[in-house]
Amino acid sequence: MSEVTVREKLTKCFRAVFPTLLDATIPGASAATVAAWDSLAAITLLHVIEEEFQTAVDFDRLAELNSFESLAEYLFSHVEE
Amino acid sequence: MKLTEALQTLHEAESPQGTAFPVLLACGFTPLHLETFLGAHLQKSIPGRRVKVGTGLYGDLAGTLERQSSKDTQAVAIALEWPDLDARLGYRSLGGWGPAEEAEIADQVAAALERLSDAIERLSDAVPVAVSLPSLPLPPAFHAPGWEAGKAELTIQADLAKFAARLAECPGVSVASPQRLLEQSPLGQRLDLQAELLTGYPYSVPHADAVGAALARLLLPAAPKKGLITDLDDTVWSGVVGEVGPEAVAWDLNNHAQVHGLYQQTLAALTGQGVLVAVASKNNSDIVNRVFARRDILLDKDKIFPMEVDWRPKSESVGRILAAWNVGPDSVVFIDDSPMELAEVKAAWPEIDCLLFPKNDYAATLALFRTVRDLFGKRRLADEDRFRLASIRTAATHPQDNVSGSRQDMFLSQAGAVLTAQFNPPVTDSRILELVNKTNQFNLNGLRHTEAEWRRNFDSRSSFLLLVSYEDKYGPLGKIAVLAGKRQDSALQVYTWVMSCRAFSRRIEHGCLDLLFSHFGVGELRFNFAPTPRNDPFRACFAPFLGVGPEKPFSVTRAQFEEHCPRLYLKVETIV
Repeated sequence: MSEVTVREKLTKCFRAVFPTLLDATIPGASAATVAAWDSLAAITLLHVIEEEFQTAVDFDRLAELNSFESLAEYLFSHVEE
Repeated sequence: MKLTEALQTLHEAESPQGTAFPVLLACGFTPLHLETFLGAHLQKSIPGRRVKVGTGLYGDLAGTLERQSSKDTQAVAIALEWPDLDARLGYRSLGGWGPAEEAEIADQVAAALERLSDAIERLSDAVPVAVSLPSLPLPPAFHAPGWEAGKAELTIQADLAKFAARLAECPGVSVASPQRLLEQSPLGQRLDLQAELLTGYPYSVPHADAVGAALARLLLPAAPKKGLITDLDDTVWSGVVGEVGPEAVAWDLNNHAQVHGLYQQTLAALTGQGVLVAVASKNNSDIVNRVFARRDILLDKDKIFPMEVDWRPKSESVGRILAAWNVGPDSVVFIDDSPMELAEVKAAWPEIDCLLFPKNDYAATLALFRTVRDLFGKRRLADEDRFRLASIRTAATHPQDNVSGSRQDMFLSQAGAVLTAQFNPPVTDSRILELVNKTNQFNLNGLRHTEAEWRRNFDSRSSFLLLVSYEDKYGPLGKIAVLAGKRQDSALQVYTWVMSCRAFSRRIEHGCLDLLFSHFGVGELRFNFAPTPRNDPFRACFAPFLGVGPEKPFSVTRAQFEEHCPRLYLKVETIV
């Protein structure tokens, strides 16, 4: 899956979980900048990503998958074509 | 439903438009996706409302239910799980597993179920309650191997079954079918242990969807269908009777035609619960009558009405049946083994559910029976369900629509009609809300109500509720009309008035107006009328009083009523 596709699909996931975020701010979103990004939102985001990308995300890495960028990198390296 | 779709559904419904529909989701675990899916499924059922799902305290299901005030919510959904009955039956407690604990766990489960029963019964007096029984597999806490059901495990399951049966008897409680849930969510794919240990949320995403959908369906069930129209050849029986003769068609094991016997049995059961069953068949009626005269037939011909057996297009037969029943096509199911006949009826009546009888596919036949049960299933049966067919048949035998005034007067004067007016009956009588929410034609404004909303209408001392029953020499119609409103100075404000279409042409509506004027001693009745696509019969009733059918809220004075009311032949009995 291309990086562009990963980012587009990931943006869709962020829109679903954080509907108040503007599209322009999603690439820079992180647990530190989004007030609604608490532990339950993090779980919801990973489940939505699993659904959207049809892949299992390693929940033990929940703490480090805490930004759009880190999730995009993780997915780009883990999701098969 | 996918999690993304559920989140979007809730987000799109967040606009301030629409009245709120507050629901309590009571569970002992972190509600997370179950809250999302329950909210989304409810939202899809009531798109004009804003569903707001509230939740209770983690790990304290019984306390959540005991503390809940019925004023803060319109419905309660309970997702019970094993740790709510004993924390040792979950994975976040280390209280001990094994032989030393088993008997005590079983005792604790019994005590917890008793406490929950009491809390649920109390809540259900005020708001509808839906319960999902423990749906996760029991943990490996018992000494017997997993393939064997040991005593402690069976004792727990038996106590749970008693608990569920006790709840199912309560008018305000409904219990989700564990069997249906098992079909939709395989047992081995329900638990997400990682999420449970990380966050206290135990359900896999698909299982949360299944439980949320099940609870939502119990709280906001679809209106059951009212009538079923069936073909005969290769449906009610195997074979084409016109070709093989009435003795050769079959519906039994010996003739490999048992599915047709099961279909007859299904139809007979439906008639027993008040569903209207009619026949639309291209056949010779004499030959068909000879089949129904056979001693081994399971479907009594007297329970079928009308019987449209001729060679005309089935869509025409269906039209005559709908007219005889006086129900809308959206309340009707048509079953035939011929895709062509189904298509012909569907083209003429697109609102009718047209279902294929798959005569050579056993699995598909069973699926059809289950679909029929789902479409017609009712939680509770009322006396009126027994009367329905008899009163419709009587109406067809003694048609009163379009007859001249003098002929109608002659008919009504000898009918021996008794109208029973029950003022302020128990609001919990399920027939009342059923009439209010299912009646389309004689309906003041088409407003539908949840149980909780309906009950709250009568908190004020100035409010009234009138339940009207009717009987004449042709038989009882049962409870057929509901009026509700409140007193305002010298007038009466009526905000609900529905009457079953089976009660038309008997001047019962005029009798109701007369009752309101005389019982309350008021000089004016004000009606919160609103036109709907189907309430023309209501408008027509008031045209004589107003000169034209109303288009908006209106009032009728006692003088107007007395000037235009036709002669009444109703004996009125009042229960206060």
